[in-house]
Amino acid sequence: MRTIAVEHLARVEGHGGITVELEGDSVSNVRFDVFEGARLLEPLVRGKRYDEVAPVLSRICSICSVAHSLTSLKATENAFAVRISPQTELLRELLYRGENIESHALHLFLLALPDYLNYPSATALAADKPDIVLLGLRLKKLGNLIQETIGGRAIHPVNAVPGGFGKVPAVDQLLELRSALIEGMKYSDTVINLVSSLPAADFCRGDGVYAALLSPNLDSYYAGDEVMIACNGDRSIVRAADYRMLTNEASVPHSHAKHSTFRGKPFMVGSLARLTVKPRRSTGRLVGLRERLQLQSPAGNPMDNNKAQALELVRDMDRALETIEQLLRDGVKDERPVGVHPRAGTGTAITEAPRGLLIHSYTYDAEGRITSADVITPTAINAASMELDFQRAVTQCAERDDAVISKRLQMIARAYDPCISCSVHLVRRL
Amino acid sequence: MSKPTVGIFGLTGCAGDQLVILNCEDRLLDLISLVDIRDFLMASSENDAACPLDVALVEGAVLSNKDAEKLRTIRKRAKMLVALGTCAVWGGVAAMDRGADRRKLLEEVYGKAGLDYDSLPAQALHEIVKVDLNITGCPIEKEHFLAAIANLLNGDVPAYPAYPVCTECRMLENNCLLIERGEVCCGPITAAGCKARCPELRVPCVGCRGPVADANPSSFLAVFQEKGIDPGVIASRLRTFAPEGVVQ
Repeated sequence: MRTIAVEHLARVEGHGGITVELEGDSVSNVRFDVFEGARLLEPLVRGKRYDEVAPVLSRICSICSVAHSLTSLKATENAFAVRISPQTELLRELLYRGENIESHALHLFLLALPDYLNYPSATALAADKPDIVLLGLRLKKLGNLIQETIGGRAIHPVNAVPGGFGKVPAVDQLLELRSALIEGMKYSDTVINLVSSLPAADFCRGDGVYAALLSPNLDSYYAGDEVMIACNGDRSIVRAADYRMLTNEASVPHSHAKHSTFRGKPFMVGSLARLTVKPRRSTGRLVGLRERLQLQSPAGNPMDNNKAQALELVRDMDRALETIEQLLRDGVKDERPVGVHPRAGTGTAITEAPRGLLIHSYTYDAEGRITSADVITPTAINAASMELDFQRAVTQCAERDDAVISKRLQMIARAYDPCISCSVHLVRRL
Repeated sequence: MSKPTVGIFGLTGCAGDQLVILNCEDRLLDLISLVDIRDFLMASSENDAACPLDVALVEGAVLSNKDAEKLRTIRKRAKMLVALGTCAVWGGVAAMDRGADRRKLLEEVYGKAGLDYDSLPAQALHEIVKVDLNITGCPIEKEHFLAAIANLLNGDVPAYPAYPVCTECRMLENNCLLIERGEVCCGPITAAGCKARCPELRVPCVGCRGPVADANPSSFLAVFQEKGIDPGVIASRLRTFAPEGVVQ
């Protein structure tokens, strides 16, 4: 038996590794290992009052803290049948887009790109090609500015609260964001040119199954209550309340992790899934940009998630600007959060975190204390699909050089943009 | 003069304090020109995992024997060990109920397999090794991190506010959420340094920076009781980010 192991996966959030075992030329075992300690935040949050839940559960992850915070608020508000104002909905979507811009810029430029250009890190890359790193940092900062302005802080936002926002941003703050976005959008072409000029990365081909939030205006991260799953041209819809159909955590023979599957098949979530499930997300000039990136639909190569992130990065700057224009046009109202009246019941929320579907499902008692919390993260969902792609990559690699295979496995893992702190439910390596 | 060698590490946590470092977008390239970052797994795939370090920056709490072992190794390598963030300084959210039956919770979340996990109740770094400097916050403030690096490069010891969030909030002339609106605001007992970020946004302080050194919890409790706030809610708030028993 031969083993290919990546002990500590670098340039990802959190601690994980990859192990592939081969008998002759066939893969007998493949594992995406999680080395994070178990923080047990879901049971620990039990008994907390409804307004304490989002500040605790946002701490699951820093890069996705807006996603966790807003999904948490949405689940709580669903449980209490709270209807937030249209302005709150717009501001939350804008905040979410800010996180996506920051997260994609960080992942693309600082974590994923060095592999394509054969550098160990963005700092090493900066020594030779500072323009690339500075571009990434510029866009990352833009995403953070949106998060700071709307959410009150770039990591673990404080301003989004049950029923709305503590303080609605002032007009001059939105004008400042507008200028920053117009400045950032000047670099859209450079981003697309850079990503489309990267060396081809095609290590594992196969039928992909993809799932994404079905949102009312096609490309929301926050709004929407149904998931669409695309599998070879077939499309199915699962409602938020039925989320366990997607996360039935089955055991598989080649891994010891429990896997999220849909009708027995692993599925991918994230940027590529969003663009595959709803191709209409690309409209206007995005169609042309998509062609330049050579983003195929249906997708079959998980490495294209990096290209899909580049397209979303550009698209999200456009959309964020549109949202700000709308807020300015409608007039920003200094609203207080709408009243929240606790009642016993369950609320489930599904949103699109930067790296894919995120689900929070809570049950509350009549006093508004949480009695159970279930959090399903994109990295936990993607684990099964990632392991399947590791297996495909090893099987499909013509070279038998372990160093080559190892680099490919790491690039595939990074393309999934895993957030290992987030992977609440993934079984830990013993 | 050769540049000081630095390692940046994460134990169990959300990686938010390492992300704050990466969020210093305008200063990041300056930073790498001033210090020699030898070991930073989150940002580089080429690390020296054994070299001696002038400064080790460690975020996250200790939640497993593996974390504890990693921390001891870092301590041996480093002249100076800095705890970054509330998890490293106080234990953080994972330490909120250290008395809970951990085996039961592990089984609940992970099934029978959970019983075999390498899992410890969350501990702050100082409970395991000697810590030379604490920079608290969930996450840490970017300015505090940059100031600490600048101070250390100049041979100074960084200093942080020794007063509560309440003081910062009053200087901003905000209406008091606790006295005027009866909200459960932890400002009076929480370490300042965030410029009263939450009350400034009309959101009560949740205590994410951990307790201030000269906190007076009994007078704080008396004010809450006067406002008719459920003692259970108060107790829950007080132990969310820093468990009882973590005395520095």
